[in-house]
Amino acid sequence: MSNENIMKGTAGTGLLIVSAIVLLASFAFAMSNLGSQGHASLNTSSTLPWGQPIATYLYFALASSGLGLIASLPLVFGFKQFYPIVKRCIFLAFIILISGMAVLAMELGHVFRMLWVIPFNLQIQSAMFWMGVFYIADLAFLLWKFQKMETGDWDSKTSRQVGIASFLGVLLASGNLALIFGMMSMRPFWFDGLLPIYFYLTAVASGLAALVFFTYLAYGFSREGMPQRLRDLLEGSLPKLFAAVLGGTLLFIAVRAITGLYSNNPEIYHVWKDYLLASPVYHASLWLGLVLPFVVMLSASMRTQVGTQLLISVLVFGGLFAERYFFVVGGQVVPLFKGTWEWSLVEYAPSITEWSLTIMGSAMLFTLYVLGEKRLNLSAMPPATSESAGSTTAAQPAAAGS
Amino acid sequence: MAKWGMVIDLDKCTGCQACTTACAMENNTLPGESWQDVLYYHEGTYPSGQMKWLPRPCMQCENPSCVHVCPTRATYKDMDAGGIVFVDWNKCIGCKYCMIACPYGVRFYADEKPLLEPDLRSMFPGGNGQMWSPPYQNPEQDWKRGIGIPPAGVVSKCTFCYHKVGKAPAGTVDLDEDNPEVKEYVPACVRTCAPKARFFGDLDNPKSQVNQLIADKRGVRLKDHTGNRPQVYYLGAGASVPAFDPKPRS
Repeated sequence: MSNENIMKGTAGTGLLIVSAIVLLASFAFAMSNLGSQGHASLNTSSTLPWGQPIATYLYFALASSGLGLIASLPLVFGFKQFYPIVKRCIFLAFIILISGMAVLAMELGHVFRMLWVIPFNLQIQSAMFWMGVFYIADLAFLLWKFQKMETGDWDSKTSRQVGIASFLGVLLASGNLALIFGMMSMRPFWFDGLLPIYFYLTAVASGLAALVFFTYLAYGFSREGMPQRLRDLLEGSLPKLFAAVLGGTLLFIAVRAITGLYSNNPEIYHVWKDYLLASPVYHASLWLGLVLPFVVMLSASMRTQVGTQLLISVLVFGGLFAERYFFVVGGQVVPLFKGTWEWSLVEYAPSITEWSLTIMGSAMLFTLYVLGEKRLNLSAMPPATSESAGSTTAAQPAAAGS
Repeated sequence: MAKWGMVIDLDKCTGCQACTTACAMENNTLPGESWQDVLYYHEGTYPSGQMKWLPRPCMQCENPSCVHVCPTRATYKDMDAGGIVFVDWNKCIGCKYCMIACPYGVRFYADEKPLLEPDLRSMFPGGNGQMWSPPYQNPEQDWKRGIGIPPAGVVSKCTFCYHKVGKAPAGTVDLDEDNPEVKEYVPACVRTCAPKARFFGDLDNPKSQVNQLIADKRGVRLKDHTGNRPQVYYLGAGASVPAFDPKPRS
């Protein structure tokens, strides 16, 4: 276990206290508003039923899937240079998914009823049923894989099989999540059989943003105390992967935008022209949150710098959150089956309660993250990998922290 | 068992909204929770611009996408109740996926910001689990079929007034408000329609009035390309909704 992990010290304790206070305050605020006003405290409506809480859940769930996919690089495909981040990846994937589910739970009309009606009614035709199945499987495999790592079992047959199962679980969960939107032919902005591919790409991009940010946070935004192998990764393969994934994401967005703007279908065309491209926030998120990071990451000298990587991770965080928000809301802004009765797109901006749910999810993520860094050895890597690092400060045997 | 269907003759409909009012009174819906509504829209531009309207209940689709997406089977198509699509309020978790999947926008989540002030829910707070309790309330309630005033956190919709229709004598073919023997079983929107633009009956019976009208007057179903196959048919000119066309911002 590296002694340079500042989350184990007073800085971590301070962050833990602040994030726990924000978590409790935002939870209490949201509960108070939902308790007193019900869903009238949200700005969603029967014409636009899914708002920012769903976008937040989507963002968190896909960031989790992205982290799971990144973890599969060493665990399934043998890219051993990614071993130094794999344990933190698995842990972050788990807690981000838990945080997203907490936000979703607050948005549902009857969350506790969900716990029994879904398993007892087995509506296998519903993609949402499968979302529950696959994400629970995903959580279980993540937990199992993490438990294997905690016990130092990185490469046994069972461990490898759990890693493969976890990879498949992630693919199924995030692909199915895409199809919840992509199979809706009555919502042409979403209707797209290739949406799972877009979700995989953006999931990895948001996962990389989370991974880079939280890894640097653990080491006080410096590479000084990092294990050598982790440093090598942050200066080598990881920023290249980040750049490639950002490029793929932009390609997908461009293709969707071009087909949308070219289409005569008003339920796609007007979403792009009069909602997305008419919004300064969308432009800011696209140009500052995705295009700029991609351009910067193309530079071999800049993409390896600590400051650049941190800035890019924060920008991509924001850019992809906005991308999820505009994706979810954009599919609903054309009034359904109202024709020319409606004179404009459905107007929606998140309420203060909806913002408090997003803040609650984020604060929960930070709280669980600090607890994880304090209680667990998230920098652990397989013994063989540690030895090859050739650094005394760096990696410790995996079992050391457990 | 009958397969209940509705026929709406747009050449007779005057757009008076009596159906909408009757539905709201019968089912105690809130403003904006328009299980039945009349859409008003324009088509074309001067000098050939037209003002049109289209009454719109739930289409009670034969192949309902809302039923396919519901993760809890709360939304279901009851073939023993004439193929009407219901929401079981004891099972609905309020995920609103059915509202996303319904091509006709005929599902409502009444636990939302009030359309009009003052908020009727705060003026008449709910009892017995209901979201609100108006001074007069239809005593008919069946939460397994989404009949009555819904609790908070669930989706509500038109039930073809099943609390009336379901009491029709077995073998009834036409529910015609002009027939004194069955008029009490006729859906509120059909019974109140002054120009008699609405007809209700058994789509499975070749001799039913609805089938004859569909055949004789070339009945059509809206958004048939979705494959949902509504059990509501439209007759006459204007059985379509023009595409959304936002106006320039002033």
